[in-house]
Amino acid sequence: MSVALIVIAILLVVGFYVMGVYNSLQTLLTQIEASIQEIGNQLKRQANLIPNLQSSVKAFLKQEKSIFEMLTQARKSVDKAMVDTSAKSLEAAEKQIQAVLPKLQVLVEDNPELKSNETIQQFMSELRDTADKLTYARRALIDLTQNFNQKLVTFPSNLVANIFGFKKQKGLVTPLSGEHIEVSASETGDVKVDL
Amino acid sequence: MNFYQQIASNKRKSWLIVSSFFVFVCVVVYVFAQVLGYGSEAAGLALIVAGFSSFIGYNFSDRVVLSLSGARPAARDKDFEFYTVTENLCLGSRLPMPKLYVIDDTAMNAFATGRNPDKAVVCATTGLLSRLNRTELEGVIAHELSHIKNYDIRLMSIVAVMVGLIALLSDFFLRWGMFGGSRRDNKENHGGGVIILVVGLFLAILSPIIAQLIKLSISRQREFLADASAAKMTNYPAGLASALAKLSSDREPLEAANKATAHLYIVSPLKGGKSVGNWLANLFNTHPPIEERIKRLKAM
Repeated sequence: MSVALIVIAILLVVGFYVMGVYNSLQTLLTQIEASIQEIGNQLKRQANLIPNLQSSVKAFLKQEKSIFEMLTQARKSVDKAMVDTSAKSLEAAEKQIQAVLPKLQVLVEDNPELKSNETIQQFMSELRDTADKLTYARRALIDLTQNFNQKLVTFPSNLVANIFGFKKQKGLVTPLSGEHIEVSASETGDVKVDL
Repeated sequence: MNFYQQIASNKRKSWLIVSSFFVFVCVVVYVFAQVLGYGSEAAGLALIVAGFSSFIGYNFSDRVVLSLSGARPAARDKDFEFYTVTENLCLGSRLPMPKLYVIDDTAMNAFATGRNPDKAVVCATTGLLSRLNRTELEGVIAHELSHIKNYDIRLMSIVAVMVGLIALLSDFFLRWGMFGGSRRDNKENHGGGVIILVVGLFLAILSPIIAQLIKLSISRQREFLADASAAKMTNYPAGLASALAKLSSDREPLEAANKATAHLYIVSPLKGGKSVGNWLANLFNTHPPIEERIKRLKAM
């Protein structure tokens, strides 16, 4: 009688534990998906800043034909990405924006007139902010994935994960080997700055 | 230790302190009950009184603090850095956006309050906003958001209830226990009665101070935890470290702050004299010494 009760109690505890792990893994999966969408969302926000920028720096950009053309090009691919919303075209748009932003920065730095312009100032801080937003959106994805993957490999939640066949999540896709984690001989030397 | 380990170790330590505090409260209540003979009723009454006053503080602390501090709501266009930095950190740590306020004061400080992440408030002084760069500000805001994420305001309210309980009980004991006499029949416990009476008297005098000291040590532990969590949030401990260095060189006390709200700020807003490395002085501080905080951040 009492043995049966103990067995039932143990089964209940185990059952609740399995349910808890299963639900938290499923919840994390939806959160990971949402955080990926958030990255897309922030990419769009960054892209939307461009028309804004174009109108405010137009007068100064006339001499800098190449930058102006790059901006127009980037804007076009953003528009395209907005329509078909595929990851690929979004990525392509991002690449173009990333290529043109540093050039703009240089342009602003070189022109005191631009640098003191309040609209441009506001614009440059907006740019930094969007870049930060993208970083933080990615960090959310990294943290969530780490959380999920940790449950897959630590005991005893890994048992539950195995039963339901949960798969490791990729998170922010980064090559796990390559130059970014290697130090070349030239990088180990002292940094010399010519002023 | 990296910040994952620091977070885990600080969480373990603060639970150890909180649970030993709870045991301490139970012992004090038990001893008083033994001496007075009606301790459990007194403890119940004290718990209700202390709980009620802290509940008020807990639920309205944000409004009380803000009205005391004379803060104005922050706007995105006027306080661009403050607003967007908070927005970004919330995005990264998946917290709801807190309400932001600015105190017009040249002293550099910031605090967070609110009982849960949905009702949170983060407040910064104009002195802080104007003198920190964006990276440093990010560290400070991350520290404040960590207090919210770790439910420190809730924890400190619970601790305040226990401190209040002890204070009230000692008061009861010294007023009624000593002069009103015990209801218990003295014949029953002649030998042990004297000892427990002495222990009771001892505790009645010392326990409010001990409770206060434990409360302060919990507060300091939570500051270390918030620093470590902030380092994880921004992934850049040097930002907060450099902000703390700037804050420590600012010797101006914040006029809007008082003792009741001191534990909410990023650095102690009271700043009575120099911060000496004296352990006795540290015992009575809500915050660990800034040098020690910077040292730990740099080790991450």
